[in-house]
Amino acid sequence: MALSLPRMLPVSTTDGELIQRAAGGDRSAFELLYQRYARPVFGLALRRLGDRGRAEDAVQETFASIWRSAGTYKPDRGPGAPWLYAVARNAIVDRARNRTEIPADIPDEPSHDAGPAEQAEQGWVSWRVHRALEELNEREREVVSLAYWSGLSQSEVAEFLGIPLGTVKTRTRAALARLAEILGDEFE
Amino acid sequence: MSFDDIVGTEGLSREEEATLRRVHELLVAAGPPPDLSPDLSLPPVPAEESDPPEVAFLLRRRRGRVAVLALAAALAAFVGGYAFGHSKGKPAAFTSIRMVAMHGAADAPAESHGVINIAEKDSVGNWPMLVEVSGLPEQAKQSSYYELWLTHNGKAVAPCGSFRVHGKTTRVRLSVPYALKNFDGWVVTTQGPDQNGLGPVVLTT
Repeated sequence: MALSLPRMLPVSTTDGELIQRAAGGDRSAFELLYQRYARPVFGLALRRLGDRGRAEDAVQETFASIWRSAGTYKPDRGPGAPWLYAVARNAIVDRARNRTEIPADIPDEPSHDAGPAEQAEQGWVSWRVHRALEELNEREREVVSLAYWSGLSQSEVAEFLGIPLGTVKTRTRAALARLAEILGDEFE
Repeated sequence: MSFDDIVGTEGLSREEEATLRRVHELLVAAGPPPDLSPDLSLPPVPAEESDPPEVAFLLRRRRGRVAVLALAAALAAFVGGYAFGHSKGKPAAFTSIRMVAMHGAADAPAESHGVINIAEKDSVGNWPMLVEVSGLPEQAKQSSYYELWLTHNGKAVAPCGSFRVHGKTTRVRLSVPYALKNFDGWVVTTQGPDQNGLGPVVLTT
């Protein structure tokens, strides 16, 4: 279901400004934050919890926490994205702790799965990238999604979208360049 | 798929190539953003400013908590709770304008099949669907589920929602915003934590 864009707030409004507005009870700001971060939060929760139902609950809890604690955000301590990430991570960790699992047997061999530090790093990368994708216009997001995750070749993407292959390549490069701008600090 | 396949290097300066290559690596590392279920299509509704600073989960499907909210909000919530409960017991009528039959894929149980009922596109451009599947085995793990996809040239390209099954027949309501005429079929795959990418197809048109 498509969301209608909250009115009166320019899309250039920073995350930090939105959090501050939400702290003052501005629902439009809260809705815009949700639009920007629902998918990254859900992705993070899904990665950590491995269960869609529990991940959906974690999304709800995360945004409940954001609404409740927006007043504790201090813009002089940094931008909004890391603060939101911390709130989401805490909500998800709380939910993971509540999980009742039968203790697993100790494996015979060491696991090759990512350790906590690697998982945290991976979670942050996904968070930033998924958030950045929300900033692309629809045509750019569409071509990136098809190129990277549909399994279609670029020629098949061109056929699917009904546009020349050269346009697909140009649009893909433009989208990646835009993502590079948005993800600026990932390149430092 | 490699950087050369997707982006290519022709006409790029060394600096531009390095920048795009870094973004490419980040996209590959991040993986696809998950599709949001209808339950997450709208944000939770914040309580009135005069209320305590808490969030009312009016859109949640989880059982039990709606009743707590109803108790807290007296008559208005009673009416809302009644309406909510009533609507749960009797789902709104679903008027199908198109039905798509699905049959079991090669590795699926012989008796498995499904029907996708598609209703008129709504005012904001979504196609409501009532999906009915039968004969699919229940999920092996709590975190496993089935995913419905639209296909193009036989490849699953557009996720349409995920669901779990219980018993012989399961009905779920999903909604997709895509231009359906751009696709040529549907498949259902099994998905789970052990799968990286698309899982095995169990139903197909």
